[in-house]
Amino acid sequence: MKKIVLTSMLCAGFAYGDIAQLLDEDKRTFDSSRYIPDISLIGDFSYVNRSINDDELSHLGLPGIAHGLYAEHAHGGSNEATYNANQGFNFNYAELILSSSVDPFFSMDATFHFSESGVEVEEAYFTSTALGNGLRLRGGKLLSNFGYINAQHHHYWDFGDMPLVYESFLGTHGINELGAQLQWTAPTPFYLMAGLEVLQGENEQMFGNESVSLEEFTGDEEDRIEGTDAPSLYVGYLKSSFDIGDTTIFGGLSYAQGDSLLDHSEDEDEAHVFKGDAKLYGADLVVLHALDSYRSFKWQTEWLSRELDGVVYGDLTTPENFTSMNKKQSGLYSQLIYTHDKNWRMGVRYDTIYQNDITKDSVDMNEVDDFNKYSAMIEYHTSEFARFRLQYNRNEAMYDEAGLRQNLDTIMLQANIAIGAHAAHSF
Amino acid sequence: MRHTLSKMKKILALLTLLPLSLFAQLTIAVSYPYIGALTKTIGGDEVKVTVLAKGNWDPHFIIPRPSLISKMRNADALIMNGGQLEIGWLPPIINRAGNPKTMPNTKTFLNLSHHIKLINKPKSVDRKHGDIHPDGNPHFHISPKNILILAKTIEEFLSSIDTKHRDTYKKNYQEFSKVWHQKMALWKKKMKDKKGLKVIQFHDNLAYFNKEYGLVNIGTIEPLPGIPPSSKHTIEIIDLIKEKQPCCILHDVYHSTKTADFISKKTGIKVILMPHDIEALENIDNLSALFDYLTSAIK
Repeated sequence: MKKIVLTSMLCAGFAYGDIAQLLDEDKRTFDSSRYIPDISLIGDFSYVNRSINDDELSHLGLPGIAHGLYAEHAHGGSNEATYNANQGFNFNYAELILSSSVDPFFSMDATFHFSESGVEVEEAYFTSTALGNGLRLRGGKLLSNFGYINAQHHHYWDFGDMPLVYESFLGTHGINELGAQLQWTAPTPFYLMAGLEVLQGENEQMFGNESVSLEEFTGDEEDRIEGTDAPSLYVGYLKSSFDIGDTTIFGGLSYAQGDSLLDHSEDEDEAHVFKGDAKLYGADLVVLHALDSYRSFKWQTEWLSRELDGVVYGDLTTPENFTSMNKKQSGLYSQLIYTHDKNWRMGVRYDTIYQNDITKDSVDMNEVDDFNKYSAMIEYHTSEFARFRLQYNRNEAMYDEAGLRQNLDTIMLQANIAIGAHAAHSF
Repeated sequence: MRHTLSKMKKILALLTLLPLSLFAQLTIAVSYPYIGALTKTIGGDEVKVTVLAKGNWDPHFIIPRPSLISKMRNADALIMNGGQLEIGWLPPIINRAGNPKTMPNTKTFLNLSHHIKLINKPKSVDRKHGDIHPDGNPHFHISPKNILILAKTIEEFLSSIDTKHRDTYKKNYQEFSKVWHQKMALWKKKMKDKKGLKVIQFHDNLAYFNKEYGLVNIGTIEPLPGIPPSSKHTIEIIDLIKEKQPCCILHDVYHSTKTADFISKKTGIKVILMPHDIEALENIDNLSALFDYLTSAIK
């Protein structure tokens, strides 16, 4: 009996075995493997050594502007890790990028950040390809094209960290929102582009529109600081560029305006909520001079100025008491990068926030208004797909709770490695 | 009085017709200068050509300046080389221009590599072999035989997007073909005695030129495509040169000749600059000049 079963099984194997083999590509009937999108993976790792340890660092900040820049920042339940957060080794992300055309009218792109704290959708959007007349429509979660560096992914930055003014005003991810974007490239002989974006407005560092529950403070579940309607963030910009010989000049003016609801109710000390309006002005200028096919100088400067106007609920147990507050803050960064050949690049960057005018109930708070940071870096590329960077930062913009400045020196060794079909970057 | 009135009418008529005649010209955006030259030759007065890349730069690494975006946006058609040569810089320009006429695979878009037989297709596609071109060697225009095929391809393309002037394009192609055949015979004669000559290159961009005239490429100064020279590989090349005795190093105009000069000093063979496109060297302002130079360069 066993013998019969075994032999019949063996026979069946021989008779039907070759159906299990994969047919040649041109013989498969319903094969869609040729439509697989472009997939790439970019891994970013760093080794960091700082002059101030992680615990102390999490208590430092820029008074009146931002705090918790150098720590795993817990906000409203979600853990938003900053890049290069820890002393020692850091696994910043494994960025998975998928990209493909959808049909003759659209393309779609998505960027996911995988890290040890989970997956973050950095971007997921569809873009029109056939509107004509220089128009381009994009919808989904996207990096706003405000300013110059905002739309660039971290792996494309010239330094391992964001410029101080961007990180302080907008957070490490800049303006990264769900919404719609319309760009129009003018039919001019030189590059001229105008763009408009309507965004949800959830940026936690400067904007926001969600109501904040005060139940844990007042005991009443009805108590809350009312949010505003979404979408609440509007961005507009104008960019232009022209060439003079081998030099390219690219400049832009940007403006963002939105409701602001900053929830600091979970903060350890001085828990508060700010509600008001926020306006952000930006101007950027990039000059690229190419010496030959591989050598170039790139000078990049951006100026940001913001105004937050509204009220602060300082004592969350009594939300009927609030003080009016107005913040006018401005800063800029300027960096010069020299690309020596296909392997070596080096650069320096200066960051500053020079205006920090805060008035509470019309009283000038006389806050510190002199924040400076200096950075230098040198990179080695083994190819366009792998980069090793050594960076030194001197940060003279951090203050402790006592209001004393704490200078911070950082040395970072970063590795950024890419595999797969990664598309080229725009200027 | 009547005389001036009729004159004014004529001027008015001309003025209103002038912008219309400008509209009649097609603006064709092209990636490299050689494509621009071919398109202008076949298109004649019916086309205006905008070239995106400069002829003396490395064709793989063109900076995607924003000015190229407006050139793309204002174009009625796009002709590119293909074979992944433009993959490092052209896609973001096409995407940002938002011009449906320059989107890949529309009828006003032409990828020349789809109309040429590519040689040296790699058996395995993996970046550990360097920056290889998966479809084969994309530098197919450096070959007089292929230039004729490309000219015919462009003639057919222009005729398909502008049927009104197809007779003009046909005539222009026939004139070009006649002259080009004569030149090809001259170049063939010049290169006859170079058949079988062994050469070294920096990067294998003369593959088609070498094949057409029987030159044999025995090695490159780059250890792998797109990877800069290393001391180990340079020594290997020097040994190879001493063993096989090639005539010369054929060098492109955009890479530094530092390593080539060093090898030349150690082995005695000469370094010859070989332009890869129009404007790659001064005085090379058209396709004939390019091949006149290339066929005269090796002595």
